[in-house]
Amino acid sequence: MSTSMSPSKIGLEYVKTIGIVNNGLNGRGFANPYSILVGKDGRIFVLNRCDPNRAAAIRIGICNIDDEYLGEFGKGSGSGDGQFVWAVCMAMDRSERIYITDEYNHRVTIYDSSGQYISHWGTYGAEKGQINGPAGIAIDSQDNLFLVDQHNSRVQKFSLDGNFIGAWGSFGSGPGEFNLPWGLATDKVGNVYVADWRNDRIQKFSNHGEFVAQFGSSGSGEGQFQRPTGLVIDADGYIYVADWGNERVQVLDSDGKLQIVLKGEATVSKWGEEYFASNPEEKIGRDNSDLVPELPDHLKTAYHISSQTEPYFWGPVGVALDFEGNLYVVETNRHRFQVYRRI
Amino acid sequence: MISKDRSLMAHLLRRTGFGANPDELEAYLEKGYEKAVEEILHPSDPGNMPDDLIRRYHVEQSELRDLAGSAAYWMYRMISTRCPMEEKIALFWHGLFATGYAKLNQARSLLNQVDMFRKKGLGNYETLLLELSQDPAMIVWLDNNENHSDAINENYGRELLELFSMGIGNYSEDDIKECARAFTGWSLGNPEYMAVRASKDSIWPYGRIAWHFKYMEEDHDDGLKTFLGETGKFNGEDIISIIVKQESTANFIATRLFQFFGSDEVTDEGNEVIQSMVDTYFASGYEIRDMLWTLFNSDFFKSDNAMFSRVKNPVEMVVGAIRMAGNYQAPVLGIEQVSNTMLYMGQGLLQPPTVEGWHEGVEWIDSGSLVERINFAAKELSNVNSPGIRSIIERLEVMSGEGTLTPSDLTDQCLDLLGPIKVSDETRNVLVQYAELHGNLDLRGHKLGDQSEQQVGNMLRLVAATKEYQLA
Repeated sequence: MSTSMSPSKIGLEYVKTIGIVNNGLNGRGFANPYSILVGKDGRIFVLNRCDPNRAAAIRIGICNIDDEYLGEFGKGSGSGDGQFVWAVCMAMDRSERIYITDEYNHRVTIYDSSGQYISHWGTYGAEKGQINGPAGIAIDSQDNLFLVDQHNSRVQKFSLDGNFIGAWGSFGSGPGEFNLPWGLATDKVGNVYVADWRNDRIQKFSNHGEFVAQFGSSGSGEGQFQRPTGLVIDADGYIYVADWGNERVQVLDSDGKLQIVLKGEATVSKWGEEYFASNPEEKIGRDNSDLVPELPDHLKTAYHISSQTEPYFWGPVGVALDFEGNLYVVETNRHRFQVYRRI
Repeated sequence: MISKDRSLMAHLLRRTGFGANPDELEAYLEKGYEKAVEEILHPSDPGNMPDDLIRRYHVEQSELRDLAGSAAYWMYRMISTRCPMEEKIALFWHGLFATGYAKLNQARSLLNQVDMFRKKGLGNYETLLLELSQDPAMIVWLDNNENHSDAINENYGRELLELFSMGIGNYSEDDIKECARAFTGWSLGNPEYMAVRASKDSIWPYGRIAWHFKYMEEDHDDGLKTFLGETGKFNGEDIISIIVKQESTANFIATRLFQFFGSDEVTDEGNEVIQSMVDTYFASGYEIRDMLWTLFNSDFFKSDNAMFSRVKNPVEMVVGAIRMAGNYQAPVLGIEQVSNTMLYMGQGLLQPPTVEGWHEGVEWIDSGSLVERINFAAKELSNVNSPGIRSIIERLEVMSGEGTLTPSDLTDQCLDLLGPIKVSDETRNVLVQYAELHGNLDLRGHKLGDQSEQQVGNMLRLVAATKEYQLA
């Protein structure tokens, strides 16, 4: 069902949900995923942040649109090579190497897409080139790597192997200032967009860090944001924003004008159906339930509504596009992602 | 010699919160006792660690899928709030209306209950009982979702009377049945699905689905009922209206409030205060806030007999030490290890051992828990890197003037800055003897972590190990 708003040139139609919570140390399913990206061959990579009780299970899971779980990689929790503590975001370069930020270890770790660890770089600090809490990461067509440096309130530009090129930003709420920024994306001409998390806005910069524009303000109205976390820009310049605090995704055009609002409409995934095949008593209960119920007044924040309404986004933290322009929205608290077709 | 005002204010802040650091104590002293009581009983603007920050870094506290992180989530609030009375009253009701994770497997819904206690816990008791009866965590906990018009389940009806209001001996078995009949239909949305998920601890496919109250009119027994001598087509709210009118309810609540906020043991003097609180209960129309006002302004509460007459519960021990040290003011990896210490001491948040909650008072102390309590407080208070301890060091430096502090003065100042804490002569002598081992304290030109600072840290560590520190 398309939820586009007219007049608009973009539509999104819900396709399916892929995912199931994985309580264990390996295997298909996700554990508090924080980021998602799609490779050229359609392989979908999901970064599992994992909770501290399952920190040993920190890994990147790989699946495809046909619900096949293809594998996973990672070396568990810690500060050793290939390990993570608080993994946040991913980016992929032209060689399909995957770059993963870790906001506890203050570094970028690189794996190839077959899951082999390559290297890591990054040192903690506030000097140029040092990092304090890397979060969003993106790579432009010129192999420039842009990194959100959240606790230093800036964006830094590096080469793929971590040589410092440039930086911009400081703490604040004015143009070019940041407050605990999170996600980052580039467009096809190399502009840089930042989900300026605690300023509840998106900021757009040139490839060299000149401020261009900002979109959004604090709130839950149309075009407003509550702690936007992730974003991605398509070839037409549409901006897809994971509006985490409002439990929704908003799509803006290149001028920042709102086009679509998505609340999520998850259905049972194939992995979920497999679970219910072995647990028929739950299936019976579920079939007799209203999963989008009328809720009492006192629990009507977006967060609480989503905690009680399974189909809705709950913790929509990251968005990605595949090479056909289809949208993937990954939800931390529901251990799944929802796929929308561009129409 | 510590002034009576200072001792009294510190006592008030221990009981209505988790104790006060020197800055907080001085701020309240400026207001004066009566104004402090008013302000504490009308909390606003808690300014606690924001939810969005917690959820960004702690995914487990965003989802609240299981116990891990759930206690820590509440603990963050207790540590950072400017209105600790909200947390104390929530803790009080959490212990009285004890609802535990083990049966529910629903941390989000349990924390929603705690939030209701925070918001409504100082208000009207009739309203609170109504909210409780509609709270889905309580409904599942006491099986009211299995209470049907054609087959009643008495669990909630019984415990409402026995444990949450009047107390045993003040109603009959028939009253229990009629009470249960009145609450038929008070259920939760999708009850069968939620019940099977709870019983199986199911998190599949997409984690937990939090609960909401739903009134099933078709399942409600709307026939005539006779309850405590009154007859009518009572629904749940009518039963509650009758319950709150009872003298036994007033006595029950006044006694429990007294024991939590006033004194572990009830003496004759305490009974008089309880009676005053009962009078206030009726005069105010069942307002908890007014009852506590009566308690905090009573001669008994302000007397030496009331001070240090409670054993700190584990939450007060842990949170009190952390607040004094000024730690954990931002999300930090490993916070669950800290919140688990309360469990090791015998009080796991969201895990009351039975429907009776926790047995407080000296029952908190056994050889195992005492070691945990002392070790935790000693570790928190001896870390000279912690902001609260650094603040104490700076105050001691100011008190030293251009000189040094004698062992006797250092002892008294540390007892004052950590409380003030009243100790016996014997305890004080031990502290002074220890201080004498290191001579006068000379903080002139002190640097972070140097010997003089360690001297302070060790002194504070020793105070945390006294028996008097165990008391509130």
